Amino acid sequence: MATTTASLTITSADLVGDALSLSSSSNLNKAGTTTGLDQTTGMAHVYLTATTSIDLFPILPASPAGQNKQSWVYICNKATDETHYVTITIANTIIGQLYAGDFLWMPWSQIAQYADIELAPSTAAAAAGIRVEYTCFHEGLTLPTSADS
Amino acid sequence: MATITAALSVTSDVTEYGIGISKTMTMTKAGTNTGLEKATGLVRKTLTSINEVDLLTVGSGTVTDVTSTVTAANKLYIKNINTDSSEYFTVGLGKASTGSAKENFDMADSNERSVELGRLYSGDFMIIPWSATATNYNDVFVKPSVATSMVIEYMVFYEE
Repeated sequence: MATTTASLTITSADLVGDALSLSSSSNLNKAGTTTGLDQTTGMAHVYLTATTSIDLFPILPASPAGQNKQSWVYICNKATDETHYVTITIANTIIGQLYAGDFLWMPWSQIAQYADIELAPSTAAAAAGIRVEYTCFHEGLTLPTSADS
Repeated sequence: MATITAALSVTSDVTEYGIGISKTMTMTKAGTNTGLEKATGLVRKTLTSINEVDLLTVGSGTVTDVTSTVTAANKLYIKNINTDSSEYFTVGLGKASTGSAKENFDMADSNERSVELGRLYSGDFMIIPWSATATNYNDVFVKPSVATSMVIEYMVFYEE
């Protein structure tokens, strides 16, 4: 069994009157268990030069292998120009924008077709080229069927 | 301007070579190096039914003054602080059903779009950007898996 541990610390000395410090840590487990997630897509690093919206992971079929199972997604915008951002979307709904240096960390329900996680660089980011890193820890992900056979 | 940082660390032996993430971000306003200045404070809620309810409604409650342009750089932190590994919150964006049934997954309905993001089991947390563009599109809803007392904490860092 694999052990994957995620920790997050949010701090600010000047947001409010007293110093802010939130710390969380959790092990990534299979849905409803204390057994660790045992699969990953690996860490991907891509360089994008178009504003085209792309699926970060294989397109979900009608009944995904990861349905009702647990998945975790990390996406990081590696740009250094603060005006360059990427838009993260799921099922035609915008989650938000990741600006230079921003990341997201979220669970992902592969509930059905269309629940793909999509990314689109901003116009300026695409024109300059933008690097993005992402990975998924999971307990099931439907891979594309080979088209050569 | 405030300086707010979020540091994420992930360690894993899921592959033979391991996977590690160590990343710190400073929360800034969209397209600038100016720090975010607003926050809701850490909100703690106890939910005692399995009804799907809005945690955040765009333009009202604790986020009345949140910037709701699509390119805003708001950040949302949510944590399930329960201890039973089988219990979870379903977290999503869009219109909450307000009942025990889930709102239909319907990306074509421009008025009542609803999409599940994921499930936070005990101890799990998430941090995402939040566009907060429009009510019923970008509201944040949660649905407890059980009706026994479940506690969730969340905080929004945002632009005004």
